[in-house]
Amino acid sequence: MIPKRSVEVFAVLSFFPRLHFENKGADLATAGGAGEQCRSALSAAEEDTSGAALDGAMAASKVKQDMPPTGGYGPVDYRRNLPRRGLSGYSMFGVGVGLLVFGYWRLFRWNRERRRLHIEELEARVALLPLLQAEHDRRTLRMLRENLEEEAVIMRDVPDWKVGESVFHTDRWVSPLTEELFNLRPREEMLRKKFGFLWYV
Amino acid sequence: MPDVVEVPTLKELNVEEVNVSSAVLKASAHHYGSQCDKANKEFMLCRWEEKDPRKCLKEGMKVNECALNFFRQIKGNCAETFTEYWTCLDYSNLAELRHCRKQQKAFDNCVLEKLGWERPELGDLSKVTKVATSRPLPENPYLSRPRPEPNTPIQAELQPSKHGSRLFFWNW
Repeated sequence: MIPKRSVEVFAVLSFFPRLHFENKGADLATAGGAGEQCRSALSAAEEDTSGAALDGAMAASKVKQDMPPTGGYGPVDYRRNLPRRGLSGYSMFGVGVGLLVFGYWRLFRWNRERRRLHIEELEARVALLPLLQAEHDRRTLRMLRENLEEEAVIMRDVPDWKVGESVFHTDRWVSPLTEELFNLRPREEMLRKKFGFLWYV
Repeated sequence: MPDVVEVPTLKELNVEEVNVSSAVLKASAHHYGSQCDKANKEFMLCRWEEKDPRKCLKEGMKVNECALNFFRQIKGNCAETFTEYWTCLDYSNLAELRHCRKQQKAFDNCVLEKLGWERPELGDLSKVTKVATSRPLPENPYLSRPRPEPNTPIQAELQPSKHGSRLFFWNW
């Protein structure tokens, strides 16, 4: 007859199928099934043999095992947890729209400030224009004068050549071209005048 | 008949130039615009009315004199603050005025104390001004040919056209 204690051990051990003993060659599944039936039969029958059963099972429980804590595990929260929290859809939409409006307001203010700064820089240019225009005029006239004198030197032996003759039929002032001004100078100077201010190609 | 283009001699063009770099000019631009306003506006008026640089050389000389006086005054009174301001402007790539507000304030205060110049408000330099000159207004600066006569007013009695409008498809 299987002592009650070892039956209880078997019943518990049926939940840990990896564990088995060398001396007991019984199939744990069947022993577990049998053990439950035996347990229910035996618990009704007698409880005195538990002491004797302990002696037999003590040899088995001497091995250190990873057992559940005494008193069993605490309660496990298995219910589904989908809390209803956060803003509603309308308020999220409102928050989004509010952020947008705030962003636009900041942007428009900064754009106005940038416009003021740009106006300030343009005004600096406006203030300096007469000086720059006067200098540019003087430079143009100086170059024309030098060209005229060189032309007189170069074309002195050519018959019927009027030095400084205008190529137009009118008498008014025609702004000279860059090529005309830099005609007798090295090509680099003309290129620098034409393209020196370019930032990109 | 094509004629010789008159170009002034080098002697007439010999004027004492303002030997100063772009950062210096930009730094002093606002004050220059409010101080040398008269000479500048006269020169620009002459240039734009006559459309000929040879006729505005005298005004150009006055502009240069005014500018030189302006820079001499600054150099005499507020040289250190001005140097700091324009070196700060020169440091940045585009010489943006908004990066150098501190030095600008120092320079403005110095100039206001010593010379009594006020920095013009935003928009003052772009206002349209009236200039009083003794130079007469040139007529026909473009030397254009005489304009054709206007059409004589219609003498006869106007009738509606025969067969309607003649404009593409309509006949009313």
